Amino acid sequence: MNLTTATVEAFRLLFAFDPQLWGVIWVSLRVSLLALLIAAPLAIVLGFLLATVPFRGRRAAVIVLQSFLSFPTVVVGLVLYVLLARSGPLGSLGLLYTQEAMILGQAVIAFPVLAAFTLAAVQGADRIVRETALSLGASRSRAAFTTLFEVRFAVMAGLFNGFGRVISEVGCAMMVGGNIAGLTRNIPTAISLETAKGEFAQGIALGFVLIMLALGINASLNYFQGEGGMK
Amino acid sequence: MRVVSKILNATFACCFSTLVVLGHAQSPEAKKPDAEIRLATTTSTEASGLLGVILPLFERDSGIRVRVISVGTGQALKLGERGDVDIVLVHSRPDEDRFMAAGFGSVRFDVMYNDFIIVGPQSDPAKLRGLPSASGALKAIAGANLLSPNPPIAKFISRGDDSGTHKKELALWSDVGIVPKDIKFKPWYIEAGQGMGEVLAMAGNLQAYTLSDRGTFNAYKNRVGLDAIVSEVPGLFNPYGIMPVNPAKHPHTKHEAALKLANWVVSPAGRAAILSLKVDGQSLFTPGAPPVK
Amino acid sequence: MTPTMSALKVGAVDAGLLTITQLQKSFGERTLLNIVDFQLNSGNIYALTGDNGAGKSTLLRILAGLEPADVLRGNFESQSMNGADYTQALRREIVYVHQHPYLFNTSIAANIEYGLKMRGMDSQTRQSLAQEAIRWAGLRHVADVAPKRLSGGEKQKVALARAKVLNPRLLLVDEPTANLDRAARQQIVALLRQTASSNNCVVVACHDREIIDLPGVARLHLEAGKISV
Repeated sequence: MNLTTATVEAFRLLFAFDPQLWGVIWVSLRVSLLALLIAAPLAIVLGFLLATVPFRGRRAAVIVLQSFLSFPTVVVGLVLYVLLARSGPLGSLGLLYTQEAMILGQAVIAFPVLAAFTLAAVQGADRIVRETALSLGASRSRAAFTTLFEVRFAVMAGLFNGFGRVISEVGCAMMVGGNIAGLTRNIPTAISLETAKGEFAQGIALGFVLIMLALGINASLNYFQGEGGMK
Repeated sequence: MRVVSKILNATFACCFSTLVVLGHAQSPEAKKPDAEIRLATTTSTEASGLLGVILPLFERDSGIRVRVISVGTGQALKLGERGDVDIVLVHSRPDEDRFMAAGFGSVRFDVMYNDFIIVGPQSDPAKLRGLPSASGALKAIAGANLLSPNPPIAKFISRGDDSGTHKKELALWSDVGIVPKDIKFKPWYIEAGQGMGEVLAMAGNLQAYTLSDRGTFNAYKNRVGLDAIVSEVPGLFNPYGIMPVNPAKHPHTKHEAALKLANWVVSPAGRAAILSLKVDGQSLFTPGAPPVK
Repeated sequence: MTPTMSALKVGAVDAGLLTITQLQKSFGERTLLNIVDFQLNSGNIYALTGDNGAGKSTLLRILAGLEPADVLRGNFESQSMNGADYTQALRREIVYVHQHPYLFNTSIAANIEYGLKMRGMDSQTRQSLAQEAIRWAGLRHVADVAPKRLSGGEKQKVALARAKVLNPRLLLVDEPTANLDRAARQQIVALLRQTASSNNCVVVACHDREIIDLPGVARLHLEAGKISV
């Protein structure tokens, strides 16, 4: 099958709403969005605290957080696998090869991205934001939240960035999800399987969906930032 | 000049001794440089790397060049029937028997086989141990889950990746009238879409059954906590046969050279060559005929 | 320009609103501020003048509690001011407006309501006060424009409206007319005059003669770390 016919077939599969294909897309979206939902509150609070609360070892904590940004996803997968395996410490939970395990893995992967973006956003906010809030009568903590709210678009950029990282992540999803058809098979693991099988049409269709998702995300981010950031 | 002739002499002596050592079994006729035969075979022999290991040895031993046409079993046999090739190497015993009965092959040798095992948890929840056939064992897994589909009593993990092992598994299911496509998404039938090693690890973690080739299982068995539950019963062997095309049907074929290849692959040298193909220290194929069909 | 002169200096209530006995601030070796016995009275507008770098902004920021002083002893009405703890109560009496005010990335009305919200006012009252303040500052025609798209003068007006609705006892405004064109400058000056009342005090750091020369404006001059009247 050459590239052209594979691409044509890919579009046919997509727009014929091939249930298998769309099932895979649904698994991807569900897992990644839930992972973000879990990771975001904690990560944003952490990033915010790192940016606003001085404590001993803060610099070290920031460095650790930033190095987690480039942590390979397969290592996250491996650690999670060892923990969740039948003989592992959390084996009795029976979470291995479930969507929950994938969600957990992706939440761990997204966490440093969200925290680091929040940290950078709050740190990057001008001192004047906090001073204005304080001078208008806000308490210190209230002024800090006002600052966080003022940099919400930068925090949102972190969310979108984290989504981009987890939706396209294959290593951890494959290891802890197991690429089980109809259960834990998501877009990246399906692409990897279809390619190995020589089913390029399926692979291209799914790759196309990933690209469309990336485009959609960046377009909406751009829109939001335009709303909030234009002079 | 003297130096040059010394070198030439040495070179000649070296070549000669090599020929003496390696060429002792060959007749002078076979060493004709233009001797060339065409072999139709299945993709598995080529993709596994087997032909790449054994054919150069045969060519060196015999001086016969082998051109390989690797296609599906059915296509390979058709090429033989039409006389488009001189010899076929395939793995589908019923088709091979028909090929011989119709007089297309002059002789058939059992070349080698590979060997599958149904592995599973030591507790053997579907009680497969001692069952006399592979498809019977799969049927027993399906049957065990009829009583309690969720949570399932006995899980089965399929490779689900269109690999040879996956196809073998599908063939075993179809022997007992079960179509995995129809049982997909049932909690006991898990379609993994991964390699053998990953599927074995998954089976270990989920304490599920799966079909594995013996080599990979041997490499993993200490790590995954699974036992060989059903092995060396009908349905688990995958025998390969080699058949030169019958010159009575197609006189233009190079039968003598083809027969040499057939004889060589079952000779001690050929058997040793087959055994030498290893992945993770395990031979992919066992020379000779399987102990049962 | 409706307000009369009496709005600028309402009576001669010389009860000190803010009394500083000592205020010191140094940056390294350099002593920037060394002020003793300095008083601000209610009902006054003060123009705080001085060269660039004389410490006008620093003084205002210290008084607003945004920057610590090395030594700060004084009283705001009956509350004592110690550099160490700048209480919430004090902060609510003193509002500082930056030279280039920051407007929250919400709406003009929400900006004006912010301080009221911090004081626990209910939303209905907040809204009506904000609308009133928008009218007062002459911002009705831009009321729906995103704050980031306002001009410098408009931003300054929003900031003054945002401060005025809080009725602070002490309003500290840092160079409000710098970098504005003449028309905007005059509008800001007019607004500043209207923020003064009998029971508050406005301090405007500026070089602007339009403010300094206003009748009734008291002048404070900062030089070599000391204030001369």
